[in-house]
Amino acid sequence: MNSLLKKLSVRSPWLFRINAGSCNGCDVELATTACIPRYDVERLGCRYCGSPRHADVVLITGPLTARVKDRVLKVWEEIPNPKVTVAVGICPISGGVFREGYSIEGPLDKYIPIDVNVPGCPPRPQSILEGVVLARKIWLQRLGVEE
Amino acid sequence: MAGFLKVLFHNVLDGPSTDPFPLGETFTPQRFRGKVVVDPDICMGCGICRHVCAAGAISISPRPDQSGYDFTVWHNSCCLCAQCRHYCPVGAITLTNDWHNAHPQEEKYNWVERKFVPYVPCADCGTPMRPLPLSIARRIYLNNPDINVERIITLCPKCRQVEDARTHSSCAWPAAAKPGKTAGEGAPAKADATAGDAAPKE
Ligand code: SF4
Ligand code: SF4
Ligand code: SF4
Repeated sequence: MNSLLKKLSVRSPWLFRINAGSCNGCDVELATTACIPRYDVERLGCRYCGSPRHADVVLITGPLTARVKDRVLKVWEEIPNPKVTVAVGICPISGGVFREGYSIEGPLDKYIPIDVNVPGCPPRPQSILEGVVLARKIWLQRLGVEE
Repeated sequence: MAGFLKVLFHNVLDGPSTDPFPLGETFTPQRFRGKVVVDPDICMGCGICRHVCAAGAISISPRPDQSGYDFTVWHNSCCLCAQCRHYCPVGAITLTNDWHNAHPQEEKYNWVERKFVPYVPCADCGTPMRPLPLSIARRIYLNNPDINVERIITLCPKCRQVEDARTHSSCAWPAAAKPGKTAGEGAPAKADATAGDAAPKE
């Protein structure tokens, strides 16, 4: 009964996007993935939301610069559990081309537990979709809906 | 108005333009820059790719037992710039059009292209070294038909110098003190310096 309720009550995962000092390349690809009908992430039941408190899956771009670090962590804290964190682009994953720069605090997983990595500089929209599919699977597992 | 009708007509005829991925197949351009691969049969360990790599994604680490070196490209750092492909003198490293890159965090540090490249012993002294591919050696020594390319690529840099002194130099080599070939002198020395880069650095 309990599991049936859980199954029935599953919503679609809503996405939230945090820019942790990205060069905007990855953000353009994220916008492409969500906003143009060619890639249409809403087919997976996902949509972008404006507030971190409504989000289930958070996509983070950028190498976590010193200037945005505290704000990124604060916004990330606001997202209710169970949340799934996706690092988009090589920047948040390893620092990428900015690694060891004077203003770079990353990689992101020093501060935030990451669940899915989507490397690329930037990754193509299909690759981001692949990451969202993976994140959705992990999210459903956390909710106890899927094994 | 006519333009709008034309677009509408096309939309009705051609159907939705949504890419079927991830529910179906998608289109990947042939020249799409995806994951990096290296060919361990050709790579000669010169390290140019590591030097030009914008994102520091390449690591070349010789094994302590001198059996060869491990060539690693970390996809999580590679920015797909293709500088490595552009600068590799032998064409050993290239980018495939494989873009399937999303992976769970547990695999972060295993998301690599890793190849072991073995050294071969120098034909004369047995020092472990990485040979030049024959085609590249042929190109280097193109203007020196008197050099035996098949033999020279089996030698380490030191033995190559000895070989050169033995066959070309005007200086007296103890066994055969023959008169020097003045014409061929400058060029082989220069070519040797180029080829010398190919040898593994300790
Ligand atoms: S991964 Fe590349 S495209 Fe994305 S934010 Fe970093 S530098 Fe920009
Ligand atoms: S494509 Fe660019 S970043 Fe990637 S390994 Fe080659 S040189 Fe490095
Ligand atoms: S031969 Fe090419 S792949 Fe090998 S180390 Fe040199 S540049 Fe890199």
